[in-house]
Amino acid sequence: MAEKGKKEKSRGEITQRRRRDGGEVRGRKRKSLSSSGKRKEEKKRRSGPRLPNALKRELERLNPTVDGEASDGDDEEIDSDAAVGNDVYEYEEGVAEEESTRNKRYDPVENYEFELPEDFEDWKVPSDGEEDDDENEDPGRHGRLLEDITGLSADAFGGKKKKDLIISEAYPECEFNPTGDILDGNGRISIHDLLDPLHGKSGFSKLRKDLHRMGKKTVPTLAPVARTDQERIERKAAYEQSKKDITKWEPLVKRNREAPTLFFDEDKELGYSTIGAIASEFTPRTDFEKKMASLVNQSEVVDAHKRDGARLLELNEVSIEDVKERQERLAKMRDLLFRHEMKAKRVKKIKSKTYHRLLKKDKSKAAEASIRMDPEAAKEHAMKIEFKRAEERMTLKHKNSSKWAKRILKRGLDAQDDSTKAAFSEQLSQHAALTRKINSIKESSSSDDSSDGDDSDDMSAGSDQEAAEKLIKKAKEKTLQILEGDDELPTSGVLALPFMVRGLKKRKEAADEEAKLALEEYESSLKQMGDTSKSRSSDKDAKGAPGGKMVFGAPEKVVNRTTKKEKVNNYYGDSDSESDADANADDNTLNDHTGKSLKEMDIDPSLLREEFGFSHDSVFKSFGDAEDPEPKTAYEVAYLSSDSWKKVRKSSDAVKGSEADLNVRKPGIVAQTENDPESEDDDEDSGTDSEVEMVDGILSSGPKSSYELPSQAELIQRAFAGDDVEEDFIKQKEAVLDEENPEPEKPVLLPGWGQWTGVQKRRGLPSWMLKEHEAAKQKRDESLKKRKDAHLNNVIISEKLGKKAEKLHTKTLPYPYTSKEVFEQSIRMPIGPEFNPVTAIGALNRPEVVKKAGVIIKPIEYEDVSVHERGEGGRKGSAPKQGKVNGKNRSRK
Amino acid sequence: MKVKVISRSTDEFTRERSQDLQRVFRNFDPTLRTQEKAVEYVRALNAAKLDKIFARPFIGAMDGHIDAVSAMAKNPANLKWLFSGSMDGDIRLWDLATRQTVCQFPGHQGAVRGLTASTDGRVLVSCGTDSTVRLWNVPLPSHTQDDSSDNDTKPLATYVWKSAFWGVDHQENGELFATAGAQVDIWNHNRSQPINSFEWGKDTVISVRFNPGEPNVLATSGSDRSITIYDLRLSSPARKMIMMTKTNSLAWNPMEPMNFTAANEDCNCYSYDVRKMNEARCVHRDHVSAVMDIDYSPTGREFVTGSYDRTVRIFQYNGGHSREIYHTKRMQRVFCVKFSNDGSYIISGSDDTNLRLWKAKASEQLGVLLPRERKNHEYLEAVKNRYKHLPEVKRIVRHRHLPKPIYKAASLRRIMTDAQRKKDERRRAHSAPGSIVNKPLRKRRIIKEIE
Repeated sequence: MAEKGKKEKSRGEITQRRRRDGGEVRGRKRKSLSSSGKRKEEKKRRSGPRLPNALKRELERLNPTVDGEASDGDDEEIDSDAAVGNDVYEYEEGVAEEESTRNKRYDPVENYEFELPEDFEDWKVPSDGEEDDDENEDPGRHGRLLEDITGLSADAFGGKKKKDLIISEAYPECEFNPTGDILDGNGRISIHDLLDPLHGKSGFSKLRKDLHRMGKKTVPTLAPVARTDQERIERKAAYEQSKKDITKWEPLVKRNREAPTLFFDEDKELGYSTIGAIASEFTPRTDFEKKMASLVNQSEVVDAHKRDGARLLELNEVSIEDVKERQERLAKMRDLLFRHEMKAKRVKKIKSKTYHRLLKKDKSKAAEASIRMDPEAAKEHAMKIEFKRAEERMTLKHKNSSKWAKRILKRGLDAQDDSTKAAFSEQLSQHAALTRKINSIKESSSSDDSSDGDDSDDMSAGSDQEAAEKLIKKAKEKTLQILEGDDELPTSGVLALPFMVRGLKKRKEAADEEAKLALEEYESSLKQMGDTSKSRSSDKDAKGAPGGKMVFGAPEKVVNRTTKKEKVNNYYGDSDSESDADANADDNTLNDHTGKSLKEMDIDPSLLREEFGFSHDSVFKSFGDAEDPEPKTAYEVAYLSSDSWKKVRKSSDAVKGSEADLNVRKPGIVAQTENDPESEDDDEDSGTDSEVEMVDGILSSGPKSSYELPSQAELIQRAFAGDDVEEDFIKQKEAVLDEENPEPEKPVLLPGWGQWTGVQKRRGLPSWMLKEHEAAKQKRDESLKKRKDAHLNNVIISEKLGKKAEKLHTKTLPYPYTSKEVFEQSIRMPIGPEFNPVTAIGALNRPEVVKKAGVIIKPIEYEDVSVHERGEGGRKGSAPKQGKVNGKNRSRK
Repeated sequence: MKVKVISRSTDEFTRERSQDLQRVFRNFDPTLRTQEKAVEYVRALNAAKLDKIFARPFIGAMDGHIDAVSAMAKNPANLKWLFSGSMDGDIRLWDLATRQTVCQFPGHQGAVRGLTASTDGRVLVSCGTDSTVRLWNVPLPSHTQDDSSDNDTKPLATYVWKSAFWGVDHQENGELFATAGAQVDIWNHNRSQPINSFEWGKDTVISVRFNPGEPNVLATSGSDRSITIYDLRLSSPARKMIMMTKTNSLAWNPMEPMNFTAANEDCNCYSYDVRKMNEARCVHRDHVSAVMDIDYSPTGREFVTGSYDRTVRIFQYNGGHSREIYHTKRMQRVFCVKFSNDGSYIISGSDDTNLRLWKAKASEQLGVLLPRERKNHEYLEAVKNRYKHLPEVKRIVRHRHLPKPIYKAASLRRIMTDAQRKKDERRRAHSAPGSIVNKPLRKRRIIKEIE
């Protein structure tokens, strides 16, 4: 507003000046034309300034004070400078006619600029003849005079003075025409100029202030922007603002997100908590409740309560009958309760049928076991049975003599249902069993022996020579079978491997040899039996000998053992030939040893002597002179020294029999073999091999040779001659490597694959196949090199992931984790209650969000979470605030 | 002779009452128990399996409307009350505990499009295609119990306006509400005319939501595929963002006032930060048809969406795939979903005129839990969470039985996206490097942001 006013003012100023200028020019012309107009002007002046109404109004509106003041100053100015004043009034009249903007009849002035130099020239010319203006006249004359005298131009003498005069004429001084000093400045009237006169006057302070304020803001208003742009700007501002506002939530949201657990289970006011409060709300609804309430709230009772206890006691009076009745009732109830209790106790003790059945089973089992183990118990048991039997005989309890049985019989068995029938027959059978027992016990005593061994049946039955003969014959047959039954070596599987084959062969050879020896022995023993009919006792001795001599147990068990031994012998043979029964290695070695030892032991001293070069049998060198008792001890020592004592002892169980036989009969046998040609014949019958052996035997029985004990290392080497551990390991490792990094398949030429039709010449495998194969091989080699056990020759480190272990590993690193270590750390510690103290479990197992069902969760509310506060400790800082805001979420730490 | 014995004071192992648990002393030396990891893994596996067995999320259906349910509103002050409006102009108030209609609000001539209740739960605002906004007085719980006969109420006020309304939402803790239609109008409870109207473009605004944390900020989505933010303090719209497809509904995160999630027509949901609208913070994929409605859990950690593919899904606020999918044979297109105020139930309203009540956690045990029970649940949950990355546990936890059409549609979508990805890759491989820029999915669907 202020600016606008100012602008208008300045615009008015400009127009006025324009008019003024134009008028002036014309006025001056007129002046120069005639002086007659001057009088007229005088007249006009006297009649007062006749400004056009519009102009006047404008002036008034613009600057009332100035106008008012100007009226005073006007006179002075006019007085002092009449010519100027005349000029103005003249111009004003003229201008009103010609240049008023109201009608545009006149051409507008082209150039409003005041062209001063031309004008000066203009008025100078007519100034020669100007007489009426005194002030102008004098200097002019004087100048001309000076010009004439000096010959210099008039300007040189009084130019300046002249100029001053001119200006004062050109700009008549009033509020519209600024004075010269103002013109010297920026050429504008400032508000300050107008205000200066008011300085110090009272009553204008407000105006001055307003103007001062207006004066400060002088920036012009810009043209209004297009609406779309304006809106966009507004929106942008709004967005920025709301963005800023929303950013204030950031720390709070961050805190909540980082918190391990969010709690929304703020306790809520759920209502009454005390019993009294709840009871006070109670109103009786049902009939019973109402009745109770009416009794309780009886005026008498209430009164009594209010006063004291005495009245209550009065009200509480009861009769003796009532008390009695009550006591009786109570007693009855107690009695009933007691009975019930007793019954319950009894019932509780009753166990189920299944329980009893199982119990019975257990008992019988235990009894059986004890009978077997403990002779005392067995005796007792027998006694018990005997007692039962006796009882049965006495009472005939189970022979349908009972009341129940009689009744059933009376009714007829057919009329009964199945279960009864079953029970009945059960009784009968029990009776039968009890009575039959007598026989069975007798039988069992005799059948003990028979059941003991089918094999040794003949032998034990009479325990005479025939039996022994039979047995030996049998054994002989079996050994023969083994010898003849030349088994094929396995062609596939583990046993097909060369070293296994080798081992098998070796073992077979040993077994064969042994079998031969055994055969020989059988022959000899048979012969012995045939020839020297020894007494039964001596025969028994022969069987019991090993036990007796070698202190290996009770003599009666030897019977079993001998049979066992034979079985074992057979077993060796079987195992050697079939090679699947003795899968485990321990047994193998054992067998080997036993086989060897057997063989060795079976060998006659003569044989040994023959085989002397074959140092293997060095142990039995001493055995060779087995005629006297001493060698036996030597033989034992030899075993001890060879570190295989234990094994031998184990095996000796099996071996013992024959060995003992040998021990006993060796001299005899040897003698026989030496003496009897018949035996030789028999041997010849038995087989070609045995013949040689026999020959050997005969030969060996000749001269004795010296024998040296082998060194420990040798012995060990000999003992483990068969198994090459290192090689085995290497093979095993290779197998593992092959399994984990399988060798690429060799390319096979499929007819038609990778080739054109048969027209083309065959050139072997296509190149790409070879290339692929090469690549695969290289890859395998590389992967083998990368293995952890690549440079460790004696170690296999399997890199195969077990299927079970695979379940416990992830294939890729799970999302929030950045490294494997961190992930593994995160699941390292267990969180269960078995592995952690109670105090730690809560924190370990707390879920991410803790909320209570039924509690309304309000949206987030703003709270100031400053960084400083958090640094000190979140809990401490936030606790009081949370206390203030009820039902608000928060994060605890 | 020196005899070493374990000595404990009797206080340590005597129980005060017979009901008390016997105290067990354990040695927590890890060397004593070396198999704890395996033990816990097995427990996690069993917990995952048990979760599957006990997953019975459907609680019940609320039958009563005779046309599709088009709008629902929670009562912020009452946990078990829920308003629902249908396409035939019927508005009902349901009691979720009994699954019965408490009362009806008859009056609307056309479909009810928007429903909302004031924060104190006393005033219900509804609007619809009949161009009216109606304010209703919500009866108090005690009143409804007493007189169940006249369960019809009359509106407090009815304002007829110029064009149909598409949505309404109430300010949190204030008395303003905003309607969406041809423009966004801000109303006061006590004025019959909107106190403010915003128009930015000439397209219809289809949904509106106030920010619960920052009550003066609201967001709308329009049929010009835009999402617009308004600020009431400056009474001006603030920002508009245009996507490739329409946003059917949006929801602010009640715990994170700067974030909101938009349910889009292209089967995905997009979570945005208001301050950074040129890219989505997260894209939630899994639906196979347009997502119709979305609502945040009051915990702000997950949200529920209802889709035109007849399923309801639950997403984590930062999860790219859904945590859970709910469907029944009879449930048709889902038009509106809500999370209950305590964050443990979900209500869905669908085309088959029914409202359905679901558990937010499918295998959660309802009812009061003993402290030991609760601890055990927590432990199993923790263990499961710990071993969730292991293949077996992951497989069991992730496995869901899907209706055949959805399964097929999902696999088809997968094929299509894979094909598109492959094509893009090849295109990139065969063009000058840098000439084809790979836009991340978070930005791909955004066309531009308008100031």
